[in-house]
Amino acid sequence: MFKTILLAASADHACDNAAKSAFRLADLTNAHITVFHVLGMPAHGFSQEVIDVKTGEKVEASEEYISWVKEEIKIYYAKQFEKTKSFDIKIAVGMPYREILREIKNGRYDIVTLGGTSKEKISVYKKHMLGSTVLRVAKASPIPVMVLCRPSSSFLKNISSILFCADFSKESDAAFNFAANLAKFFNCNLDIFNVADISPVFSKNIIEQDEIDSQISAAYKKIEEKYIPHTKNIIKTVANVCEGIPYVEIVKYAREKNSSLIVIAHHNKENENFGSNMEQIIVRSASPVISINK
Amino acid sequence: MYQFLTGFMFWVSVSIFFIGLFVRFIFYFTGLNWRLDRVAYKSYPFYGIKGALKSVFKWLFPFLTRVWRKHFFITIASFAFHVGAVIVPFFLLAHNVFIRGKLGIFHSIILNQLTADILSWLVVIGAVILTIRRIVLPQARILTRGYDYFILFLAVAPFITGLCARYEVGNYSFWLYSHIIFGEVFLIAAPFTKLSHLVLFFASRIQIGMDFEIKRGGMKSKNGMAW
Amino acid sequence: MYSGKLCSKEPVKTKEQLQALLKDTRGKTYYKEMQNLEVDTDLLWKTIQTTLNSRIKTWLEICSRCGICAESCFLYLANDKDPTQIPSYKIQSTLGEIIKRKGDVDNAFMQTAMETTWGKCTCCNRCAMYCPNGIDTGVMFSYLRGLLYQQGFVPLEMKIGAGMHRIYYAQMDITDEDFIDTFEWIVEEYEKDYQGLKVPVDVKNADIMYTVNAREVKYYPEDLAYAAILFNLAQENWTVTSKGWEETSLAMFAGDWEACKIQVKHVYEAMERLKPKRMIGTECGHAHRATVIEGPYWMGRKDGKPPVESIHYVEWVAEALRTGKLKINPEKRIKTPVTIQDSCNYVRNGGLKDITREIISYIVEPGYFVEMEPCGENNFCCGGGGGFNGIGIYRNHRNKGLTVKRDQIIKTGAKLVLAPCHNCWDAIRDLEEEFKIGIKWSFLKPLLIDMVEIPESMKPAS
Ligand code: SF4
Ligand code: SF4
Repeated sequence: MFKTILLAASADHACDNAAKSAFRLADLTNAHITVFHVLGMPAHGFSQEVIDVKTGEKVEASEEYISWVKEEIKIYYAKQFEKTKSFDIKIAVGMPYREILREIKNGRYDIVTLGGTSKEKISVYKKHMLGSTVLRVAKASPIPVMVLCRPSSSFLKNISSILFCADFSKESDAAFNFAANLAKFFNCNLDIFNVADISPVFSKNIIEQDEIDSQISAAYKKIEEKYIPHTKNIIKTVANVCEGIPYVEIVKYAREKNSSLIVIAHHNKENENFGSNMEQIIVRSASPVISINK
Repeated sequence: MYQFLTGFMFWVSVSIFFIGLFVRFIFYFTGLNWRLDRVAYKSYPFYGIKGALKSVFKWLFPFLTRVWRKHFFITIASFAFHVGAVIVPFFLLAHNVFIRGKLGIFHSIILNQLTADILSWLVVIGAVILTIRRIVLPQARILTRGYDYFILFLAVAPFITGLCARYEVGNYSFWLYSHIIFGEVFLIAAPFTKLSHLVLFFASRIQIGMDFEIKRGGMKSKNGMAW
Repeated sequence: MYSGKLCSKEPVKTKEQLQALLKDTRGKTYYKEMQNLEVDTDLLWKTIQTTLNSRIKTWLEICSRCGICAESCFLYLANDKDPTQIPSYKIQSTLGEIIKRKGDVDNAFMQTAMETTWGKCTCCNRCAMYCPNGIDTGVMFSYLRGLLYQQGFVPLEMKIGAGMHRIYYAQMDITDEDFIDTFEWIVEEYEKDYQGLKVPVDVKNADIMYTVNAREVKYYPEDLAYAAILFNLAQENWTVTSKGWEETSLAMFAGDWEACKIQVKHVYEAMERLKPKRMIGTECGHAHRATVIEGPYWMGRKDGKPPVESIHYVEWVAEALRTGKLKINPEKRIKTPVTIQDSCNYVRNGGLKDITREIISYIVEPGYFVEMEPCGENNFCCGGGGGFNGIGIYRNHRNKGLTVKRDQIIKTGAKLVLAPCHNCWDAIRDLEEEFKIGIKWSFLKPLLIDMVEIPESMKPAS
């Protein structure tokens, strides 16, 4: 399923959960793993001095320094590297999300794994930009983006089910294909889940229950037409629709079902309120979230 | 002696003064090079002239530029010094009488005695303040060399001696001789020393005015360079 | 005559040399070699004799040594009124001395001169406005940079920067392919958000040819996307060129006049090839100075103008807002106290003060804009001009220099500083990093992107 996995991480605890799931994925798919570390922005004008993303200190991005960082990463992930088929380590200088995207563009990766958003060090160069590395990568990445902030249980042990969050957009169709393939590959259940968004309730208009009900039945129908025909080779596919605030319901549902992976589409409509749903799911979910936008 | 100083030396010093300064002024401009200076001096005559005039005019009168307003004391001292130093020699009655004797020209604007006295004193006082400033202010002290005091002395000596002669302090003819000698030394030295700023001030201001007006945005901002 | 491997009188000519210099961490070897560099006094004097003309000669001669220029220099103020930071003192003790000694100076002298030239003056030309005699010390320092460069006494980063221009026609090792590739890539990322977004490459006879700063390509490609979005929103007929796209010139900071010419020639050739109606450069001050203000003279263009009318990005923004090509959503105007950093290179030396104020009138809610004191053509250098930002060995000098801008900003009470210039932007970022005064800073593009109305036809398809 995956031949090469890009793990964008610095060798520290903030990325541990993401790293673990990446290595696990590599393990399961017998993939090559590339650990990618971004040193940070050149600190001053056009000099070579950079701010190390991990320590926040100013360092000269010299060759010695870079090989030292590589060595550090090797030591940090020594145990995991032992088990992987093959790996390499790459270092870049620049704005992390940008360099990760550049690496994705230039390399041949099947999936990229990123560490958490919550613990990111806020250094000065980021202050002028909105949004975190994860959201920016998720928005633009042409390949699936897997994110995990909290310690994951089921994915690391035993993959039992995949949760696909449907919203019937074009991106969502792509996400479905990906989720279905995963379910086939892991030979596990697929949960198709849709939430009739009632968050407007909290702003102004009240939605009649009738309207909600009709939304729900429409969603069931769509799932039936669009997705179910393509689930023949999957052990078991369950469709579920409910009303609520999307991220709350999704996280809840994933917990109930003990989902090992959540697959979700990232699309433009979230532009207005850039990725807030996505971000909430990522921060709250105990399972790795895979975002697809193409 | 008097004959020599007011005859031969007068002609020599006056010629050196005028011809010398004229030559320096001309050479300044012939020495400019649009490529080296990176200013298209000749391509925009309108803007060139406008910038030049403004740059000279604004600095020629007190308080028209920011610097003149900001540095109140030095502005007063400096203008007191320069105004007197330029006006008195040309318009003093005694000089006029003398020049009529030499050239037969007599111009009608003559300073009355009181004005002449005041202006001359202002020159001296201005010079004293400027000297003290050079000694006291660190930013002037570090820049000042003996040469600068010497130039100041060259400029003010004719006035001091002139005033001494005017008030007949001690030996009149001694002061008169000194006055003439210092005056002539001044005239002769002007083109060869920093005193040449008499004309080069204008030259330099014209250049920088054109520089900013033609090349550095003068054509783009509403009022050109605001000095 | 001694010549080091890294530090020599020769400019960088090959990629290998560039690599060697880049590898020399903190210029350890480079500056060590500089200790042994000999001064070619004959060459120095000969160069002076052929290039020093009446303007600079007169300046040096008639300086009345009054010290009035002292307070005009931000470095004098930043360094507790250190008299050795007075413009006149700085230039008289370096260039003045070299000329007095007819070029007969030694290594130690040249090294001090180098420190003064790149570590104590940013060529901001502010002193020129304050000298009664019209003496422009910044211009003289720029001249001195040329002399020092020729002798090999130049800070490492300057040598590298000039070398980059000689080899890549850009201030960084970015090839023409990298440029187009990055531009297209980043625009692709945004094409979902803005329908019909594209980057036209090498289109002839377009209305606008857009040129950039290589740093954008390397580190802030977003900026390229924003430029594309804004041009598209304004429905401009624009293009970028696949060759000659770099507007900046570190060679100018280095005093490498030959490289300056190489660089600007490359850009002018693009103008002549594509024949656009106008060239618009990005939000960069020195790039504008190099390509639009000084460039024509390096190329020997008699009218002092580039081959096609060339303007700064702020001029285009003002025009687009004025003519309604870009419309601001009034609700999204800036509503925090905001000030603007006037770049020396296009405000004092380019006359664009009024233009930026016009932009402010459209994008800032009335009452929120605060001027710095002083401002406009009187504004102080950001603290990082003339290459100061990038030079490792003078980092402390630079950080000290930033204090003037810091205090100016604090006094305005602004929380956001508009910095439509790469150097200023960098300096203000570093200033925040150094002193943590709690401000944000921004180019115009990202702010505009958030504020402009998007016509229906460009809104994302749902
Ligand atoms: S203000 Fe002008 S004349 Fe006075 S010291 Fe400075 S450069 Fe010289
Ligand atoms: S050009 Fe600017 S930095 Fe240089 S001496 Fe003049 S005021 Fe100071």
